Parts: sequence; structure tokens; C-alpha cells
Amino acid sequence: MDEFQEILQDFLVESFELVEKLDEDLVELENNPEDLELLNGIFRVAHTVKGASSFLNFDVLTHLTHHMEDVLNKARHGELVITPDIMDVILESIDLMKTLLNIIRDTSSDAGVDVSACVARLDKVSSGKEDIQTPMEEEIVEETAIEEEEEEPDYDSMDADEIEAEIERLLQERQEEDKAKRAAKIAAGESVPEAPPAPSEEPEPTPESAPASTPAPVTPTPTPAKQETPKADAKAAAPAKKAPAVVEQTIRVDVKRLDHLMNLIGELVLAKNRLIKINDDVEERYEGEEFLEELNQVVSIVSLVTTDLQIAVMKTRMLPIGKVFNKFPRMIRDLTRELDKKIELEISGEDTELDKSIVEEIGDPLVHIIRNSCDHGIEMPNVREASGKDETGIIGLKAYNEGNHIVIQIDDDGKGLDVDMLKNKSLEKGIITEKEADSMSDKEAFGLIFKPGFSTAASVTNVSGRGVGMDVVKTNIEKLNGIIDIESEIGKGTSLKLKIPLTLAIIQALLVGVQEEHYAIPLASVLETVRISKDEIYTVENRSVMRLREEVLSLVHIGDIFEVERILDVSEHAYVVVLGLGASKLGLIVDSLVGQEEIVIKSLGDYLAGIEGIAGATIRGDGGVTLIVDVAALMHMAKGVKATAMIESSTENASHEKTKPSDYTVMIVDDSKTDRMIMRKSLEALGVTLVEASDGQEALSILKQGEHSFDAMLIDIEMPRMDGYTLAGEIKKYNRYKNLPLIAVTSRTGKSDRMRGVESGMIEYITKPYSADYLSSVVQRNINFKSEFL
Amino acid sequence: MSDKLKDIISKQGEQQNVAIDHSDDIVQLVGFVIGEEEYAVPILSIQEIIKPISWTRVPQTPAYVLGVFNLRGSVIPLIDLRIKFGLSTKKHNEETRFFVLKQGDEVAGFVIDRLTMALRIKKDDIGPAPDTMAGDDSMIDGVGKQDDRILTILKVNKLLERDF
Repeated sequence: MDEFQEILQDFLVESFELVEKLDEDLVELENNPEDLELLNGIFRVAHTVKGASSFLNFDVLTHLTHHMEDVLNKARHGELVITPDIMDVILESIDLMKTLLNIIRDTSSDAGVDVSACVARLDKVSSGKEDIQTPMEEEIVEETAIEEEEEEPDYDSMDADEIEAEIERLLQERQEEDKAKRAAKIAAGESVPEAPPAPSEEPEPTPESAPASTPAPVTPTPTPAKQETPKADAKAAAPAKKAPAVVEQTIRVDVKRLDHLMNLIGELVLAKNRLIKINDDVEERYEGEEFLEELNQVVSIVSLVTTDLQIAVMKTRMLPIGKVFNKFPRMIRDLTRELDKKIELEISGEDTELDKSIVEEIGDPLVHIIRNSCDHGIEMPNVREASGKDETGIIGLKAYNEGNHIVIQIDDDGKGLDVDMLKNKSLEKGIITEKEADSMSDKEAFGLIFKPGFSTAASVTNVSGRGVGMDVVKTNIEKLNGIIDIESEIGKGTSLKLKIPLTLAIIQALLVGVQEEHYAIPLASVLETVRISKDEIYTVENRSVMRLREEVLSLVHIGDIFEVERILDVSEHAYVVVLGLGASKLGLIVDSLVGQEEIVIKSLGDYLAGIEGIAGATIRGDGGVTLIVDVAALMHMAKGVKATAMIESSTENASHEKTKPSDYTVMIVDDSKTDRMIMRKSLEALGVTLVEASDGQEALSILKQGEHSFDAMLIDIEMPRMDGYTLAGEIKKYNRYKNLPLIAVTSRTGKSDRMRGVESGMIEYITKPYSADYLSSVVQRNINFKSEFL
Repeated sequence: MSDKLKDIISKQGEQQNVAIDHSDDIVQLVGFVIGEEEYAVPILSIQEIIKPISWTRVPQTPAYVLGVFNLRGSVIPLIDLRIKFGLSTKKHNEETRFFVLKQGDEVAGFVIDRLTMALRIKKDDIGPAPDTMAGDDSMIDGVGKQDDRILTILKVNKLLERDF
């Protein structure tokens, strides 16, 4: 029975391939009903499926395809003009055929589907003219021959020997036909490949069960022998020039084998990274030694070859995106009839290749986008005419390469996205708040269409309006590390760009450091990196933001997301990695940028699967494991993180639970030793820790050392080197000291002096002389001194 | 002659059967210490035992998940059984080992304080887990007695099960 399964598999693979092509051809056919070439191709598919299925005893499928064949045959001979109505019936029957094939795939039998209704309709279409199959003898000799053969017997009732003989006979006939055909073509001056060598089919001499061997000769033969489909053309033409004996140019390989190969390459890339690192170390240690050059050469060759090998293997996994695009002409056709609109689909770049796994993922999002364009984008024909556009709307589907990415662009010339309408709808549905709506840029507003629950359709139709589809698009594209970009102009149309990395298993990543830890960020999601000083970070509504050129970018510290313990506060500068995903942006603050590296994605295994914010792990050159950031999840998590990073760390330090008076620290800044002494005496009674500085410069350096965390500062205004105003200004530049209470203690009593004090950030103004109690109470108030310590 | 041969053969066969039966009654375990207690897991569930190597912390996990480490190209989670069993953490020392357990596709490394020995123990010497700790949720498979030692035999599938 295994043998049967194998043949069944072949049959299914071939049938699905044929059917896929069929959809495209049929729509094309509707536009060019006269195209004989197309008709022949379509007829052949139905025919091949019928032939194979009859051998495999799929009676229902055979029955259906037989009737399809009838209709198509008539059309082929010009006895039937393909009208949209007839087309509907044909398309319906093809859908049914697909369903049947699916059922066969799942259950190995084609029972349970009622095809009689569809068959009846097919019959109606072809009715009346049953036996007028005479014209154009020459061309259809072949088909009629096969038809006869196939309608002939019920192979089940034969015993093995008989079947053997039958196969032999069929083969012979076929070969003779082929020979005759070739002879005719050669005579006509065409170069034609040799026949597929017959022996390849003959050495299956002892089939145990009838269906096991029978389909083999019939299914494969039609393809190489005929040259209608462009694929067959290309395959056949190439070998004809060289050795005529070689026909096979492609091999079907189990995807698992390719995956395994890809994994091995992954290991190799890791080893390569490691080798490069070791080479660097060795270079450092034995600088100037001669053998280094040789080592260098070997390392570069290995790394070059590894890269080439990786690309080569990647290419074996590549499929043309046309595989996905193929189903859209049919979809558009159905939609136009359903929506009563006139829409044309223009496809280009269908040869662009993508990794198999991505091709599989990209189908659904594209379906949603195109449905959306048809339903919401393109207007009704009368509306279009009224606004001076062509009655027929055009949807462009385009794929092209851009660096390490592939871009899929979906354009429509419909009504475009209305920013105000989008905002209003979102407000209505409670997706955004009024405030958010006001501060939203046009681009961000376009992004609203991806929010779950968002829909502009007044009512839910068959086609769209449930507010789910575009959300699916966003999730799927983000899963592929892709970026979505929307451009739209009212009245002109909308253009959606999906930017997707070429492959998933090996990616370029930016390695960043936070404290002692390293993380890898997929480079595809990194827009740019900027170095900022910490006082460029502002807090708006409890969130950290920075100004990046014309935009306000919200910021989040990677340490807050990944619960990194912040032991050392490294420097005044931080790096911001600007992440872009879909239509949204986020600035990720990191301590350091380590560099760019090619990494191999490894899963964390079942035990740690689904950890938020982590997409996987990779093994670095030094053998250590580095986690890969899941940018989509990180953006989501960032929303939950309130005011960030550096501010938090300082306030956290300050608000450490105070258990005794000496936990409070106050700095006294005054150039006069006497004044410092007076202040010290006034405050000593409280028991707080006091630190003294003799001028602004000294005070600032004490602050920078970070040895103490101060709760307040008493500052004299008149000081050498740096006066009190300047000091206050400097202190306020540091984000972490923004909330540190600064108290001026001065003999300057003028109103303008007070104003200057306030401007520079002082919150209290004590004039000399003062009473010890007054100073003490002001300090207590400002450091939130707990009364129980008194 | 041939009868004798048959006899001998059949006897040998019996002996073999006995031997097989005998081995059925024996469980092979590897014992290790965490804190004060000695635990054991079936020897066949152990992929390997290695000396501590560096690992990478994984955020958003419970404290007993130390992180992941690289075992010849595979990324494997590392679990500290001390923390998991509610003991205080202890610095890794000369005797600390990583136990790499495997069941089906699930693999994880476990930090243990000290390895004791591989041992064979009769099934009859293994008692059920105490009633209070028995049940499907328990990590304890049974309690083995040998000489004057008592071993807590752990369920490998429970150890490898994610419980957060």
C-alpha cells in the first residue's frame, strides 16, 4: 500500500501545481476568450487530472473532471463561447475539484462530496452538441486517443497480468504518437528533445496491486511530450541544445532535507563567527608574526565560502512570489462580481523570489489587503466616473528586491485614506483618545487601519468590515520582521508597502549592551541609531520622549523591559536605537552598541517558549548565548513601561526607604567656612548626613561622583569659580537631578535676585541672617523628613 | 545427545529468562544532592552531566530559571533546583554540576549541588511517595531505600514541565 501512497503523493503534488496555474489561466481566458493556447492548457489540466484520478479510482473526481473536459473541449473547438456565466460554472467546478483534491490528500479517498449539481450545470452548458468532435483532426488525435483508452475499462476488474499488458500497450501507443509528433515537428524545423526514455517506466515489472503501477506512465508523460505551458517549454528547450538524453532539470526535494541543510549551514555560520573572533584574538597576541598572514587568508576564504554557501542554500529554498500572486486574479474577478465594481489587477515582479516559509506566511495578509483595496479603496464605477476617473479601478501588485529585503507594494487608484474620517471612526470605537487624535501625524493616522476592531465599513459585508483583517496583516507581517509603510492621498489612491526580510533563519542583527548583558536586535527593524546625552530626554505625561529631527520619539530603556539590574550608571551618554516595525516607531535606550553580526536564530525550546519580548537566541563567536529581541512584542511591552530609565533610577535611589535620620543627605555649598559651620550647627540636631562643598565646581564634582544620593542642597549664591545660579543651572541639566530641591541661602535680598534664583531652578530662598529653627524647618519640609525621627 | 542438548538449551533459555525477569525488577538511578537531601532520577533520562559553564539570563522568567546555556550548538534552559525547592541560593563550587535531562524533545539543564553515584535499586525497595505529596502534581515519583539511605526519586516529566 506504501507504493500506492507514494504515487498518490505524486499525483497530489502535480495536481495542486496544475490547479494553481489553472486559476490564473482561467481569468486570463475570460479576457481573451479566443486564446486557443490558453484553452488548450486548461483543457490539458482537466484532462491530466481526470486521467490520473481514474487510474487511482477516484470516481467522483473522474466524473467531475470528465464533464469539465467536455465543456472545455467544446470551447477549444470553437463550439462554445466562454461567457462570464459559463466561466462561473467552470470556476465553480474547479473549486470543487480543489475541494476533492484536499479531501483526497486528507483521507486518501474522494467520497463525501456531491458533485452532481455542478456536473448538471456543466452538462447544461455543453448540452445539445454532444458528438460533433470532428474538426481539426490533426491537433486532437492525441487527446481523443487517450480519451478512448481511458473511458475503456474498469481496471479494477483486471488481474495484474492484464494490467501489465494494458500498460505496455498504452505506453507503446503513446511513444508512437510522440514519435510521430516529433517527426512532424522536426520536419517543421523545430528542435525537440528526445522522448523521455521509456525504460524508466518499464522496470516496474511486478506491481502487486493494480493502482500501484498504472498511473505512472500516464501522469508524467503528457508534460514532457507537449509544450504548451511555458514551464515545460523552458525545461524542454534547454537540454535540446546540449545532450538530448538529459531531460530532468529539476529534482523534487523534501522540504525537510532543505531545512536540515539550512540548519547545518547555520552551525557553519556560527563556527565561522567563532573562527573570526579567535583570529582577532590571535592577531592581537602574536602581532607581526608571519604565520598570521596565512591564517588570515584561510579565515577569509572560509568566511567567504560560508557566506556563498549560505546564499546558495537559501536560494534552494526560494520560491517565486508568483506562487502567491497567482490566486489573486481569480479573487479580484470574484470580488468585482460580488461588489459590482470594475477592477483590474496589474501584477508585476512575480518572479521575485522569497524564502518558502515567508511565501507561505505572506498569502493571508495579501488577501486581506487586496480585499480591503477592492472594498474600501476602489469606488463604485459611477462614483469614479463622476470624479473624472476611469470607470475601471486599477490595483497594482508589485514585488521587487531592495537590499536584503523584498518589497511587496499594493497600489490602488481609489478614494484614498481620509485622515479625519479615520480619527473620528477610531474615537467612536474608543481605539484612541481625543488627545491622541490631536497629536497624531497623518502617517500615524493611516496606521489606525491596523488596529484591532477598527473598521470604516458602515456595515459588515461578506468581503470586509469586521475589523479583523488588517489586524491580521499587521500581526503576520510583524511576525516576519517586516515593516509596513502606507502612503495615501485623498482622491488619488493608497499605496501600501510591505518590506520583508529575504529569509528567516539567518539574519543580520545589531548587538547592543545593557550593563553586562547583550541583546541582538534584528537589523531589519532598526531604522537608525543615535547617541544622545541624558538631558535630551524629556518626560511627557510620565513617558520619556526625545526629539528626533521633526518627530517626537517615545523612549524606553531596554533594562526596564528586560528587568536588568542597574548596578553601574555608566555615563552621561546613552545610545538610542530607533526601531521601526509596521507603521510604528520606538526609541530603545541602550548602554552601548556592540556591533553588527550575522546571527542564526535558534529557538529557546518548549520550556521557555513564548517569553514576551524574546524571539529566540543565538550562539555567539565566544560560545555564549545571546537573546534575540522580539521587536513587535517589545513595542507592545514598552506601552506598559512608564517614565523611564535614568529618571527612575535617581528617584528610586532617593526614595530608598529611610529608616533613620542619617539616611537623609544634604549638601551645603558655601565658600565661607563660618557660614558652613552655622548651617551645620542648625541641621546637626536633625541627625541628617551633611556633606560640604566650598564652591560650585566642587559641589558639581561631588554630585557627579555619585557617592551620595542627596535629598537637598543648600547653596550660597556668592561664590568664587562657580556661583550659585550657575551651579543650579548645571544641576538641572541632569535628568536625574531634575527633582532635587535646591535651597538658596544668601544675603542678597533683592527681588531680581530672587527671580534669578527661581529661573535657575532654586525652589526656596533663605536670606541671611536666619534662625537655626527656620533653616531646619525649611530643610525638613524639602526632604520630606519623617516626623517620627524628631 | 540431542536430548541433552535440548535440555541444556532450554535450561539456558530459562536462565536467560530469569536474568531478564531479574533485570526487570531493578531500576538504575543516578543519585545527587540538593541541600541536605539526596534525590535520584532514572539513568536513561540523563543525556549528560557537565561541569558548570556560563549561561545567559532570560528575562520574564521565575527566579529558578537561571537562563539558557549553549550545549554544543543547542540552546538549553538552565534551572536551579535549589531555588525551585525553596532553598537559599549557593555559590557554584567544585562539586556543582549541570544535569542535562531529556525526555522526548524536551531537554533542560538542572543545577545540582553534588553528584553521588549511579545505583541499582530493586523495584520492591521503592515505596510510593508520602500521601501528602503523592498525586499527579507531585514531582516525587517514589522513595527508594538502599542500605541506610533514602532517595527521593523525581519524575523527569514533571521536572521538564514548564510551570509558569
